[in-house]
Amino acid sequence: MAMIATTSLSGSSQSPRSPSTQPFLSVSVTDPAKLGNGVQSYISYRVITRTNLPEYQGPEKIVIRRYSDFIWLHDRLFEKYKGIFIPPLPEKNAVEKFRFSAEFIEMRRQALDIFVNRIALHPQLQQSEDLKTFLQVDEETMERARSQETGIFKKKPADFMQIFKDVQSKVSDAVLGKEKPVEESNPEYEKLKNYIFELEEDLAEAQKHAFRLVKRHKELGQSLSDFGKAIKLLGACEGNSLGKAFSELGSKSEMLSIKLQKEAHNLLMKFAEPLKDYVRAVQSIKATMAERATAFKHQYELAETIKLKEINLDKLMLIRSDKVGEAEIEYRELKVEGEEATKKYEMIVQLMNEEIVRFQEQKTWDVGVAFHELAKGQAQLANEIADAWRSLLPKLEACSSAQT
Amino acid sequence: MATITTRSLSGSSQSPRSPSAQPFLGITVTDPVKLGNGVQAYISYRVITKTNFPEYQGPEKIVIRRYSDFVWLRDRLFEKYKGIFIPPLPEKSAVEKFRFSSEFIEMRRQALDIFLNRIASHPELRQSEDLRTFLQVDEETMERARSQETGIFKKKPADLMQIFKDVQSKVSDVVLGKEKPLEESSPEYEKLKHYTFELEDHLAEAQKHAFRLVKRHRELGQSLADFGKAIKLLGACEGNSLGKAFSELGSKSETLSIKLQKEAHHLLMKFEEPLKDYVRAVQSIKATMAERANAFKHQCELAETIKLKEINLDKLMLTRSDKVGEAEIEYRELKAEGEEATRRFETIVRLMSEEIVRFQEQKTLDIGIAFHELAKGQAQMANEIADAWRSLIPKLEACSART
Repeated sequence: MAMIATTSLSGSSQSPRSPSTQPFLSVSVTDPAKLGNGVQSYISYRVITRTNLPEYQGPEKIVIRRYSDFIWLHDRLFEKYKGIFIPPLPEKNAVEKFRFSAEFIEMRRQALDIFVNRIALHPQLQQSEDLKTFLQVDEETMERARSQETGIFKKKPADFMQIFKDVQSKVSDAVLGKEKPVEESNPEYEKLKNYIFELEEDLAEAQKHAFRLVKRHKELGQSLSDFGKAIKLLGACEGNSLGKAFSELGSKSEMLSIKLQKEAHNLLMKFAEPLKDYVRAVQSIKATMAERATAFKHQYELAETIKLKEINLDKLMLIRSDKVGEAEIEYRELKVEGEEATKKYEMIVQLMNEEIVRFQEQKTWDVGVAFHELAKGQAQLANEIADAWRSLLPKLEACSSAQT
Repeated sequence: MATITTRSLSGSSQSPRSPSAQPFLGITVTDPVKLGNGVQAYISYRVITKTNFPEYQGPEKIVIRRYSDFVWLRDRLFEKYKGIFIPPLPEKSAVEKFRFSSEFIEMRRQALDIFLNRIASHPELRQSEDLRTFLQVDEETMERARSQETGIFKKKPADLMQIFKDVQSKVSDVVLGKEKPLEESSPEYEKLKHYTFELEDHLAEAQKHAFRLVKRHRELGQSLADFGKAIKLLGACEGNSLGKAFSELGSKSETLSIKLQKEAHHLLMKFEEPLKDYVRAVQSIKATMAERANAFKHQCELAETIKLKEINLDKLMLTRSDKVGEAEIEYRELKAEGEEATRRFETIVRLMSEEIVRFQEQKTLDIGIAFHELAKGQAQMANEIADAWRSLIPKLEACSART
């Protein structure tokens, strides 16, 4: 299962999905190896970092990481860089028997490699301390870091779902006038939110059908293989030109079966997986939108509280209460908090604007590449199939014209 | 469901599977129409006969026939022309919901048309009275003929199966030396029998996989259609060049889906059905082999009986019994019967030898055509698919070039 990834950002073999950056930081996720036993078995990867950045320990560093380490990095970045669309991770769960299949491992390895390189290319994220930790510390230190912070930072999936629901329900509540809306009333942002939600649905549907397309290719290939075998068996009990025709047809079918399986794999890795990656990216945007909503709400509620405190303070000052001093301190602290919350919220808004632009550009590029791969692969397959069948025609014609 | 078939033996448009005969008898099975109601519903066909035979009410005659009429004809020919491979009929039963699907009806119509034309081009079968009856009498007369002879001529499928089993078991019994073989001991015929049984197995397997291939084409086509729709929906919420790319890709997928469905149908009619027809033809040969085995057994048993009667007669003549006269008559009658049985058996053997040659020739031709259709259809479809995808590439390149 040792697979060397050739995605490198340092010059020569550039994958179109990871454009180069100056100075450089390039990461390879490679050599998946199965470790452990039984239910505790897992896959470990070699993560090779090549860089000229001074903060890193010299030009090349190799560490061993597992999937949960990537999750740790993802979660830390999500906490620290609110407003930025954190690159998505491949899904955790897989059907048990599929979990160690070569295909699944390769898809995951590819996705993890893309994940780390996207972080390395992001102007802000690439400066993250957590990234440096992830790329350089030894396995023990990594394990310690990972288990330490499970309680504090890890949002349970259920929490996310609730936040999403809140974001959606707030819109309808506002419409129905149910409650005072604690939601931004920015029409452009509303439009963006609607676009993102619709996009996620349409993408999920397209991705589902893309995977089904892969499956159908496999099934057609299998069918051609079975057919080829049966035809060859038939030919074995015939003689002369007829038997030869059977045998040629059977061999050709088996050969085409292999081509179809190859294209099915190509479709999976170069088209269906990128589509799925796109879905994950959109989900990451939704997560950031939830963070923005939370920040807005926080900032808004603080503003409300500050107003009330102000009113209260004025009252106390009027009656010359001895609680004025205390109240004043509270008030000032709240104001600072309020400014802090507003600053955080505005930072998220500003970052998101930049992120949206980056996202649109990258997406257009990525989708274009994926479509191109699809069309190219399919055209090539179809050509090879046409050639194979056409090469059979003269041999079959010879057979049907020569009688017994 | 009215389909005019262009299969005619009278000169111009000759299907290679029904070679012309001189003088000519050309038959067309066409215009399937659903008649009757509910469980009694059935399909009727127009059978058009064009001929210059004097025995026919020339030059053109049109009658209405249903599937059971064809079964009647086949059964009569099977009884009367032992030794000849009677052209096969398409199967009777079909899954209820499929029975009136246009695809099933078309496959059946095609098979029935081929059936009649094969009879019409067979040097012996074409002279059959029953064929004339089938092609010419009105529907009432046909129905009367059909219901009359159910009891006498119709062999139940169970009987046929038993005969087949007997043919097979006799071979193994001989090998094990279990009983005095009531089976021809012709090594060449043994070889033919083994070949026929093996061929049927392999053919059935190949036909099963050919059918599955048709199904997979359909499924891939459906998948492309669903995919195309989903991609178009995606494109609807994008703008500019990306949205356009989605839309083009979606439309192209839907186009290709249609091509795949078309090829699936083509595969079914021009390849899978001919393979299935081949299976039926081999089964018809097995039925004839069973008849031959019966005739041989009958002729053998009569020979045994005649020997015994001869011995008995000699005994009676020795004792100057008064039963001699009676016994002599019996003996002579048996001898005549025995000669008749031997003649019948030898006719079957002779006819079968000619039939085998005809069959091999026809089969080679038919299979060659079927394979040719397969390769041609697949190559053409693949070419169209390749062109469709390639026409997309420049448009997609335009989209991914500018970020």
